[in-house]
Amino acid sequence: MKTISNSFVIADSSKCIGCKVCEVVCFTVHNENNNVIATVGTVTTPIIPRLNVIKGENFVVPIQCRHCDDAPCANVCPVRAIKQVNNTIVINENDCIGCKTCLMACPVGAIDLLPQYDNGEEVIQLNLKQEGENGLEETGRNIAYKCDLCKESGKPACVNACPQKALTLVNISTEKKSRNKAAALSLLQTFKK
Amino acid sequence: MSINIVNIDKELCTGCRRCAEVCPVNAIEGEEGKTQTINSDRCVICGQCVQICSVYASNFQDDITPIDVKKDERGMLESIKEPIFAAYNIGQAKLVKEALANPNLYKLVQCAPAVRVALAEEFGLPLGSLTPGKMAAALRSLNFDRIYDTNFAADLTIMEEGSELIKRVTEGGTLPMFTSCCPAWVKFAEQEYPELLNHLSSCKSPQQMGGAMIKTYGAKIDDIDPAKIFSVSVMPCTCKKFECDRPEMTDSGYKDVDVVLTTRELAQLIKDMGIDFKNLPDEEFDSALGNYTGAGTIFGVTGGVMEAALRTGYELITKEPIPNIDLEFIRGNEGVRTAVVKVGNLELKVAMVSGLKNVVPLLEDVKKGKCDFHFIEVMTCPEGCVSGGGQPKLLLEECRPIAYKARKAATYEHDSKLELRKSHENPDIVKLYDEFLGEPLGHKSHHLLHTKYVSRKE
Amino acid sequence: MNTFVVADPNKCIGCRTCEIACVVAHSDKNIFTSESSEIEFYPRLSVVKTAQVSAPIQCRQCEDAPCANVCPNGSITNKNGVVYIDRSTCIGCKTCLMACPLGAIELVPEFNEGEKVVQQGLKVVDEGELCFKDRMVGNKCDLCIGRENGPACVEICPTKALNIVQSDDLDVSVREKRKKRASELSNMKVK
Repeated sequence: MKTISNSFVIADSSKCIGCKVCEVVCFTVHNENNNVIATVGTVTTPIIPRLNVIKGENFVVPIQCRHCDDAPCANVCPVRAIKQVNNTIVINENDCIGCKTCLMACPVGAIDLLPQYDNGEEVIQLNLKQEGENGLEETGRNIAYKCDLCKESGKPACVNACPQKALTLVNISTEKKSRNKAAALSLLQTFKK
Repeated sequence: MSINIVNIDKELCTGCRRCAEVCPVNAIEGEEGKTQTINSDRCVICGQCVQICSVYASNFQDDITPIDVKKDERGMLESIKEPIFAAYNIGQAKLVKEALANPNLYKLVQCAPAVRVALAEEFGLPLGSLTPGKMAAALRSLNFDRIYDTNFAADLTIMEEGSELIKRVTEGGTLPMFTSCCPAWVKFAEQEYPELLNHLSSCKSPQQMGGAMIKTYGAKIDDIDPAKIFSVSVMPCTCKKFECDRPEMTDSGYKDVDVVLTTRELAQLIKDMGIDFKNLPDEEFDSALGNYTGAGTIFGVTGGVMEAALRTGYELITKEPIPNIDLEFIRGNEGVRTAVVKVGNLELKVAMVSGLKNVVPLLEDVKKGKCDFHFIEVMTCPEGCVSGGGQPKLLLEECRPIAYKARKAATYEHDSKLELRKSHENPDIVKLYDEFLGEPLGHKSHHLLHTKYVSRKE
Repeated sequence: MNTFVVADPNKCIGCRTCEIACVVAHSDKNIFTSESSEIEFYPRLSVVKTAQVSAPIQCRQCEDAPCANVCPNGSITNKNGVVYIDRSTCIGCKTCLMACPLGAIELVPEFNEGEKVVQQGLKVVDEGELCFKDRMVGNKCDLCIGRENGPACVEICPTKALNIVQSDDLDVSVREKRKKRASELSNMKVK
């Protein structure tokens, strides 16, 4: 098996200002099916981003899926809803049964289990009903959300949108080569004749 | 004003300071990474911070005040589901909704030129869609009794301001004269350069001229007691809410403009009332105070007031129509543009400023007596009112230049297609003077359409 | 999110005490003093024992429970956060069993007050004689609804391998993970 490692997006915490533009943009580009066009006024569903800006005492940085090459989420999914597609770990949202196993398995905390929306409305369970005050009622579908490297467009939206250029799409092969080169050059400096 | 119009929600703000970067008066204070506050003495309420803020309240965060409570505090209608952000302006849509249901009130509305090239964006139509017909239809569906228009009032402003400029130029009055239709600019001048207030045109803004006319002339022609009039204006601007509350804006004998809604608030009200905006058939504005020329509609873009003034001023001075009605050399998006316009024997030196920071060097020149412009148009927002603080808020920064370009293009397109393109050719303007005002700068105009400014410097 | 019980296979010793606790918790009668033919011994969790792993498997109370979504009778509903099979309307069609990716559902005889329930019409040949068939119903973890101390398996496990996971626990866990990862990123020297 010839394997190319999965790409992923990672953030530089020294550049992040915590503005959440990445979250807003992520949601926007993933919600065409919910009639989100160009303005805030077109949004009728909660904003569900696939990366999360985390604030600590002296840091702020977004956390998102690392598209692990041995993705624990994919390996534990009981319905094989999580697959590797073109060097990206992708969740098939329609196959997802909301069992929460991937959420537990992910050490990054990259997965959120939240309501599914389509055409501006909550997607309702096919059959499953919930006991409410007035008897059985419809209930919404919950699915696992995580970064999909913007598989529709192929260009992660967060990377371009960040006003501080804090996010980068990493190809580890390219990254390794450039670091090796820099290290070799510095060896040249170190061992000057 | 005990309640601030533009605010930053302490619970939501992450201290990224992108708002501080766009604030033209450095009114946003706070350390990086900590919650920011707005210095209300410096703030000119332009709302650019509201437009850029990207820190939204998540529906799934349970350690903050519930979103419904926040929406209520901000004056938002309950049915509205759009997200809310840290920097915001308070709203009056609920007040207007109540008034619209009150049969004892006579409800009149006027909309700014920049509203009709952006309102449709909130309903999913392309950026810069020109929809004056749908806008009028929506307002009628909302149950307003008369659909008047700020563009008409803009034509009126040109009559007064054009005459005022000519008077100052020919009679040695205070020059340069600055436009006074942008309330954030006016507040800025009052705060920072009160010694130069005599340079400002004494004309009220089109909104306020419109308001004064609605409760005097408008009341008269419809035989309505002005006390029963509820006058609403829809603006691309958050500072217009401040302007309508200015204590001196009561020359009609009542509060000239009762409430200002932003473009966004109007869209929310339309949605709340279940009106299907996208499928409305075009309707007309009401005559008397609703029909306008192209000159009135270009007020919404930087250079528009100047171009409108020149179209009329040229003819007032030379008694000849201006050879070319499209003054391309006045248009553009650089922060300071200048031009020399030959008007008969006069070489009129004019300047257009967009982006409030850009006016400061000019003001400093005026203080030193080094400014030789005759007339300067000042707009606080980057490309004029189409980029105002109350306009539809963009989700993607990369769309911003596209949106501004589209809204401007739609404005000029609208102007170019209108039959009448010069303010003084508006027959309803002529009628208004004939029947009611008399003549520009006359006694009645002076009382109803002109104003005074106040120093706000400590 | 629904609460559920899940086992840590690293702690499980395969003793099966959880299965017994489950049966005891759901039985009307004292199973230790009953005659064997009458014991309702159908645990709702199953201990898997292979060379690689030992762990009990039970329902994960899925948010979009596939069992509920395929049940032709609407017998499976979300009852206060428990994906619950209503035995009175279950027809033993086994579709839920097929839908569950974990194998958490089993078809078992229904008992009422310690006695097997038989069907009203359907007969089968049993030990050479035609008799009414036992009523068979879907059986799965119900989080011990109604039991004072909650899930019996969790209470009894000698190695504390079984744990109750609540929505809040998951939220806290995810938040902690993110915080740690963010802290790690902020400590990275190479940027």
